[in-house]
Amino acid sequence: MTDRATAVETRSLTRSYGTGRRGGSEVYALRGVDLSVGQGEVHGLLGPNGAGKTTLCRILSTILLPTSGTARIMGRDVVRDADAVKRCIGIVFGGDRGLYGRLTVGDNLRFWAALYGLRGTGLRRRCQALLERMGLAHRADDRVDTLSRGMKQRLHLARGLVADPPLLILDEPTVGMDPVAAQDFRVLVDGLRADGRTILLTTHDMAEAEAVCDRVSLVDHGRIIATRAPAGIGALISRYERIEARGVPAEVAAALPDIPGVVTVRAAAGERLRIETEDTSATRAVLRRLVAEDVTEVATSRPTLEEVYLHLIGERGMTVER
Amino acid sequence: MRLFVTAARFQLRHLAGSPAAVQVCVTAPLLTVVFLSISDYAGRTDLSPYAVVAPTLMSLWLLALHAAGELITEERDLGTLEGLIAAPARLGTVVMGRMCAVTAIGVVSFAESWLAAGLVFGRWLAFPHPLVVVACLLATVWAAAGTASILSPLFVLMPSARVIQNTLSYPFYLLGGVLVPVTFLPGWVQPVSRAVFLSWSADLLRDGLDPAPVTDAVARLAVILALGSAGCAIGLMLLRRVLNRVRRLGTLAQA
Repeated sequence: MTDRATAVETRSLTRSYGTGRRGGSEVYALRGVDLSVGQGEVHGLLGPNGAGKTTLCRILSTILLPTSGTARIMGRDVVRDADAVKRCIGIVFGGDRGLYGRLTVGDNLRFWAALYGLRGTGLRRRCQALLERMGLAHRADDRVDTLSRGMKQRLHLARGLVADPPLLILDEPTVGMDPVAAQDFRVLVDGLRADGRTILLTTHDMAEAEAVCDRVSLVDHGRIIATRAPAGIGALISRYERIEARGVPAEVAAALPDIPGVVTVRAAAGERLRIETEDTSATRAVLRRLVAEDVTEVATSRPTLEEVYLHLIGERGMTVER
Repeated sequence: MRLFVTAARFQLRHLAGSPAAVQVCVTAPLLTVVFLSISDYAGRTDLSPYAVVAPTLMSLWLLALHAAGELITEERDLGTLEGLIAAPARLGTVVMGRMCAVTAIGVVSFAESWLAAGLVFGRWLAFPHPLVVVACLLATVWAAAGTASILSPLFVLMPSARVIQNTLSYPFYLLGGVLVPVTFLPGWVQPVSRAVFLSWSADLLRDGLDPAPVTDAVARLAVILALGSAGCAIGLMLLRRVLNRVRRLGTLAQA
């Protein structure tokens, strides 16, 4: 952690659900999460679907109660002091939902502003300023239904900012966006960082996390596996490389695991062999061996984020309940 | 109060052209025509006020039930319920503002029914006590929304609200003396009817259209308001409890 004052702090935060079956065991969405986010920091929660990112956001947003542990926003407990916490946060949920499609962009924003206590001239000025900042001023009188996915997400962001909160929680804000819209959105988030706002961003997109976050926490199975600067997460990924080859003789395949640095050798679709290595020198050694054996149909690539997870968390699989 | 008004205005914009509002506006004058036809056939032209009052109160209650059921369900479907709950505004005030706005549309059906009686049957009902009629309509809007608010929390817990909505319309019309005056109901039912705001509203509205002096108008208005307020208090308490429950169980977003 940095020496900045803490904006978000969780200690042993746990959330479980009953299975709904008699005698069924509890399903854990969060397991003892300890997280600290400094004020002014853009912090990413990076993990696959079902890792527990949204559950964490919901608890911080006071929508969901934790089963045990504590969570504090700007020093205020999300359970005992929920009303004060609500005034400190802006929430931006991803996806098409969360807006009144039959109403205009302006009507939507003004309604949410009223819910956050804005009135009269102050409300109108704030909404107008936000619409201009988000590039939506020219669409203020259009129905939300007619907006593109990217525009809807900008309206979501405007809604989250309507009360000028010190903390913004962005839950998968670019999910479903086309690359251009997603890039535009990241530029907007970058602008919010310049405002000095604290941002907690969940994503399963490594590039997005690298682009906008000061630090990233890897989340899986309800646990935080590691918290690092994006470059550190990048290093985790670059530790692993992947080689795919077709037509590898059986005796060669059997010998590959003996090469230092080879992590796994397994059959893949299309009669391919997939070899995963933990460093570049191992990759070179494998390639030399394959070429020496006249195996020419060879490709190397970096593993996906999910594959890095598999390396980090073992072979428990990527599916997390709830 | 500002939040209440803001929520009500928002709801009116949101509701514009909604099927429920259109349905009520279309059916109310038709019901008036049906009731007047029956009273004409029976030679009871003195029952004309009933033909205007009944569709009006039926519309108000139908819209209140609609608001109670659809409001939460629709918020859930739109994905806005979580945002509403995460906002610092008091959800109860927002819900009541929006429910009153929906219910108030039912007042339009009074004008429609009055016009239908005049245009189709030539029975232009006089307004000997306009203040009583207007005050009664407004109090009934509040009471209908307040009473229906008791149901709103149930709809947070239940995936389908329509069964309850459909079940609670006609029993309330009967108990409320909307179709048949309470005094014509069996004796044992009458005390129950008096706990239903519609029975007070129906009587007072009919008296307001009668040339005879209206007795105890203020007290009767107070009863309507009190019954609505009691319903509102119970509804808001239940809403708080139910929301705490779904926050604990994590079932808020589940439809």
